[in-house]
Parts: sequence; structure tokens; C-alpha cells
Amino acid sequence: MIRKTLLLILSLALLAGCQSKKGKWSGTDLDVPDSLELAADIQISEEALEEIVQNVSSPIEMAALIKEIGTPFSIDYLATTDYVDKYNTSFQMAYILGVFGADLGYLNIYDKNTQMVDHLSSINRLADGIKVGQFFDFNTLKRLATSRENIDSLMYMSVSTFNNMDSYLRSNQRGHLSAVMITGIWVEGMYLATQVAMENDDPALSDRIGEQKLNMNNLFLILNAYESQTQVQELIEVLSKIKVEFDQVQITYKMGDPETVEQDGMIMIVQNEKSIVHITDEQMKSIIRITEEVRNQLIEI
Amino acid sequence: MARIATLLFIGLFLGTIGSLSAQSPAEMVDICANQAGENATYLKDFQVKLGVAVEGRPQVARYPLVLSSNNIYRFSVCDMESSEGKAVIKLYDNNRLIFSSISAKTKEEFNPFNFMCRKTGIYHVFISFLDGKPGEAVGILSYVSKK
Repeated sequence: MIRKTLLLILSLALLAGCQSKKGKWSGTDLDVPDSLELAADIQISEEALEEIVQNVSSPIEMAALIKEIGTPFSIDYLATTDYVDKYNTSFQMAYILGVFGADLGYLNIYDKNTQMVDHLSSINRLADGIKVGQFFDFNTLKRLATSRENIDSLMYMSVSTFNNMDSYLRSNQRGHLSAVMITGIWVEGMYLATQVAMENDDPALSDRIGEQKLNMNNLFLILNAYESQTQVQELIEVLSKIKVEFDQVQITYKMGDPETVEQDGMIMIVQNEKSIVHITDEQMKSIIRITEEVRNQLIEI
Repeated sequence: MARIATLLFIGLFLGTIGSLSAQSPAEMVDICANQAGENATYLKDFQVKLGVAVEGRPQVARYPLVLSSNNIYRFSVCDMESSEGKAVIKLYDNNRLIFSSISAKTKEEFNPFNFMCRKTGIYHVFISFLDGKPGEAVGILSYVSKK
């Protein structure tokens, strides 16, 4: 009787231990060969790195601005998903995962659900490839994309999936893949913005592109933490071409006190301190050209 | 002996069911993000679990983030069902408080609140619990569409 009871207790304890939400189980941790060796390479503390990583802005914001200034949707801006199988290494998969993540944000903002299915399928494959597939609920995302029943849910799930994959990679000593994925997101967001800027010289878009100087500096801090990795070092070298152009861009600040107003029954704090971007037409042209060159080079297989 | 085993079984079974049905932070993120409003697009979440105040100083979770000029952001916070304390979300620009979801003077609550950003840069979100109580909460940063 005692043996049976103990067996029952053990079974229930196992059941309780195994119960988890999607994303919490860590069975796939075991077959990650390139993680542990990196722990010693990181030159700055995990806490400091966490602080920097949080500081790279979302691709949704760039895509939303592109739409808000009246730019029509264009599939031509997006990276092709045709060769997803050719990306074989963790580095390549993490980078292109970021690229497709930014494109997914663009598709989401324009409600292009049908075109989204290809991207979702490719992202699913890549996420599995770098062992973060447990965060990607492909079937639900596909259902939401094809049924058009809840666009807000689709957007929410897409963004939160990438947030979860990113934080899982960072908390499992695979921060280098998170850094590479974030770089892919940022470069593709820059590419989308600069491609639109070629056709539309909207000042809000020019300012947003110029402000990317701050995000680029953050990105370099993240990547520098993993520069002992040859591929990351090569990535830094390629990205340095954009950084050289951004070094010419000036950002100044104008002081002002915030105001509190009520809008649609909600409190809104309006900031009166402003950042002002100083970017010449020539600098913008150079940034557009170099961004295109770098983006195409990095997605080349 | 049989009675003890039965009691153990019932206790463990109920415990298991309890843990299966307990609200998880991820579930709270879903709920809280959905409550942010129709024109709000989820960007980030901040999952916080803090202990009781230490030597009278409430514990605080701090998150840096980049906000872009000419964007409107919405900040909201939701307490977990199990939370003892009530969460407060505050936005800082460097060391300067921009806004708090609960007024320190009047205790009036402004949750969620919007922030029209005009200076691209690094800001900080602080989440703590009123009166230094322990608690668990989820903060949400959303992008507010202008059109």
C-alpha cells in the first residue's frame, strides 16, 4: 500500500512539475551546443547587457510611421522567403528570423494577412532551427491570419512571440543569437524606412531615420559584447559602414516642461522637451544607399 | 495508514489542480494587453514580482527603453490576482519623474496613461507596490495610433 501511495504521489508530483504554459518547458535546452561556451566571452555584466538590449526600439513603430505618412503597401520591400531552407547555421537563422520579424511587423501594420502566411511559415521553421519554436504558436497565428477574425490578436501574438523568443535566448546564455536577431530586425526596419524615404521625403520619416543613430549605438554595445565570435565580428564590420554615415548626423535638444492634458477621458502627458535631428540631403542619400547595400549583403546566402 | 494515504492523495490532488488553475504572468500579459484600448498596439511587457519593503524602502523594478519622438505611448499596469500590493507604474526621463499611475499627493489613479514623446532617447519605467507591500504585476507599453 505504501509503495502504491508513494508511486501515486510521485506521479502527481511529476504531473505538477511538468505542467506548464507554452514556452516554459525547457526540454530543447539540452541540445544547444553553442550556448555555454559563450558565457566566458561576455565582457560586460548580464545586468548591463539586459539594460542595453531593452533599448532597441520596436519595428512596429517604424512600420506604423511608414503607414501614417500615407505610403502605399509594397511587397517589393520585403525579403523573400523562398530560400529559407538555405539558412543553415544558428547565426544565419537568427539573423534572418529578425529580418522576417520586421517584415511581419510591416505586414501586420498594413493588415496583409494573406501574405503573412509565408512569413509565418518561414519564421516557424527558423524558430525551430534555433530551438525557440516552443514560443511560436504557428497554428494559432496562421488561423488568425487566414480567418481575419481578429487582427489585433494577430498583431499582439506576433509581437509577444518575438519578445518571448528574445528574452528566452538571453536568459539561456544564447544572448549572441538574441543580439543577431535584434540586428536583423533593426537593419530590415531601417531598410523599409530608407526605401520609403527614396520616394517620399517626409520630414517625420527623415527625422526617424536620423534618430536611428541612437539605436545603432545601442546595437553596437550589444554586438560588442559578443565580438569574440567571428561571425559577430564580421557583422560588426559590415554594420560599421552604416555607423560611419550616422556619425555625421547631429541630434540637438530643446528644453521644455511637460504638460498634462485630458484626451478622450485619459490623461496624456505632452513632452515639450524636443530632440531635433540635423541631417542633410546628402547624408540621407548616403544612409539610404549604404543601408540597401548592407541589408542585401547580410541576407545573401 | 490508508487514511493518511487518502488524505495525502486528496491534498496533493487539490494542490495540483490549484497550481494548474493559478493565473500565470503570461496570462496576465494577455489580459492586460487586451485592456490597453482599441487604438493601442502592444510593444513590450514588464513582468514584476517584488518582496516586502526592506528597511522601509519599497522594492522597485526598473526597465530602460527607447521611446521615439512624435509617437504616443500608453503605459498600463495590472495586478496579478494573487498580488497583495497594488502596483504603480512610473515613467522617468533620466532621474526626472514624468508621470506616475498613482498620484503621490492625492492617491488618484491614472491607469493607463498616455505619453506624447517629443524627444527620442532612453527612458525608464519603474514598477513598485504601494506601501511597500509585496506583489506581482504586469506592466504594458503600447503604441497608440494617431489615425
